[in-house]
Amino acid sequence: MSHKELDLSIVVPVFDEEQNLPVLHRELALHVGGLGVTWEVVYVDDRSRDRSFDVLMELREQDPHVRIVRFRRNFGQTPAMAAGFEQSRGRIVVTLDADLQNDPADIPRLVARLAEGFDVVVGWRKNRQDGLWLRKVPSRIANRLIARITGADIHDTGCTLKAFRRELVENLPIYAEQHRFLPVLALASGARIAEITVNHRPRIHGVSKYGLGRAVRVALDLFTMKMLSSFSRSPLTYFALLAAPFLALPALYLVVGVVGFSGVAFSSRWGQAAVLTFMMMSMAGLYFLMLGLLAELVVKTSGRPFDPLVQRTGT
Amino acid sequence: MSAPLAGEVQPEPSGSGGPQHSKLSRTVDVTLVVPVTDVHAELEEVLEAYGRELDRLGRSWECILVFDGIKGAPLQRGVALQESSKGRVGTISLHRAFGETVCLSSAFENSRGELLLTLPQYVQIDPRELGGLFDAIDGGADMVTTRREPRVDPKVNQLQSWFFNWVVRLVTGASFRDLNSTTRLMRREVLEQLTIYGSMYRYLPATAYRQGFRVEELPVRHLAEWGGASVFGPGVYMRRTLDIVGLMFLSRFTHKPLRFFGALGGSAILVGSLLVVYQLLQWALSAEAYGLYQRPTFLFGVLFIVLGSQTIGFGLVGEIIIYTQARNLREYRIEKVYE
Repeated sequence: MSHKELDLSIVVPVFDEEQNLPVLHRELALHVGGLGVTWEVVYVDDRSRDRSFDVLMELREQDPHVRIVRFRRNFGQTPAMAAGFEQSRGRIVVTLDADLQNDPADIPRLVARLAEGFDVVVGWRKNRQDGLWLRKVPSRIANRLIARITGADIHDTGCTLKAFRRELVENLPIYAEQHRFLPVLALASGARIAEITVNHRPRIHGVSKYGLGRAVRVALDLFTMKMLSSFSRSPLTYFALLAAPFLALPALYLVVGVVGFSGVAFSSRWGQAAVLTFMMMSMAGLYFLMLGLLAELVVKTSGRPFDPLVQRTGT
Repeated sequence: MSAPLAGEVQPEPSGSGGPQHSKLSRTVDVTLVVPVTDVHAELEEVLEAYGRELDRLGRSWECILVFDGIKGAPLQRGVALQESSKGRVGTISLHRAFGETVCLSSAFENSRGELLLTLPQYVQIDPRELGGLFDAIDGGADMVTTRREPRVDPKVNQLQSWFFNWVVRLVTGASFRDLNSTTRLMRREVLEQLTIYGSMYRYLPATAYRQGFRVEELPVRHLAEWGGASVFGPGVYMRRTLDIVGLMFLSRFTHKPLRFFGALGGSAILVGSLLVVYQLLQWALSAEAYGLYQRPTFLFGVLFIVLGSQTIGFGLVGEIIIYTQARNLREYRIEKVYE
């Protein structure tokens, strides 16, 4: 199967959205079909418990643009997204929630922006139609943190409505709960990111499948993401930075002790506590360096192309 | 961990030409696997009861008896069964006790069935329940495990078993209520894709679930249970706890090692800092003149901090490994793509 058969793929993870699907598909057909490009919609059925799958099969009967990927059991949103990426064939991939809160009318604008020379275009739900305390506030805090820590200037990483170039999705690792961080990871590999405001509509049918616990986990993942996005190419540098204080302090004290200011000399009461403390600290520092070497080894032997965009020739 | 090199595989099950037969020879619908771990194993009864039910269901079958280090009379009975069965029954004798997991993997290597049915060495579950297991597989499940209901064993055992299953449910996020019931029917594919080792036999449904297989649990009628009422020994509890920790790491944190190592290391750093601060305060406020090096608690505190940061370091390396290997980790299993 050639990957570059189509101009545009829409990837939609589906979990219990039987009432929304017909409406969604009608809107997609209207707005995407009007673009005059070859397109497909990849619905990933995350083993819905309601009639979603039957609804999808009916849609497929009526519209040859529909492709359905069905999971063996429920796996979650990120795996659904990853499967959708993998099965899609378009040169441009747009992701979208099935709950109708994203507006398919925004897709042409996203695609147009991408055509201006960006690699990722991210939607920003400026007027979010969700509960304030349970959804908006945690999200705003998380996004502020992400922006601050990673340097990615994006208002809304949680918005599913995004457009990617194929080269990018093929080279980004998607696992755990990472779809949220895709723009950040993309940025780290040199992608050009744009953001446009998108329409956000209140939920009509079905129930929201997110909760507050998610925001906490997202915050925890930040630390990891920061490391991965900036240091996965040369982990030794990162570990050396970690080791630095553990090694510098003991070294400094060694100098002080040898020079021998009487108050803090090796033989003083302070000195004896410090010798023991710094001994242990320097041990930790050395271990960090060794871990760094180990990580370097892992990275160098993995053979992963770390610069997906180096291959971006002639697009 | 004992290497699964098993033992002298003798004689060959179902005598159709050595271990290399599996690819070429005809297959059967289901292979029964019975690990024999006790000299009192009721081999004849098991074969009779389940074999008859399978015949009634119209499923062709073979049975492999795996003697887990059991020699003497039971083995001779097994060989006698094999000889009188016209190729339906095979025996495998392991030269010492390796445990049920090795029994299963060595039987699997020699099996021809498209499905595998593991059975305990006595008639524990009503044979008439087998039909339901096959129905579930035909309905798309990859593995069907059983839940004994209502249970006939003593209440003490039930309570311990309930507690064990509750902890496993909590840890793995899977919903199995009776992992101690080892009557299970699975597709060949499941065992082909899982690497099983150690005490995995018991946790097979949880492991299969984590690997993305569809696993269902069926309530079945419980006929008999070996062993009287007893509180399991501390050794059993110890082993189960270790199993569960391993399971927890594998099922929850394989893709997020830092969450596991970070939690461990973070708590160590917290404890260490508390100890150090406490000792420093005491030292500063004390009228007595002493050195901090004379306070073991202080040194322990420092040690904890150092250990904690090390642990987090390991988590970071883990994250890098996962990140670089992410291509090869597929978290999902697709049933079908409808073009």
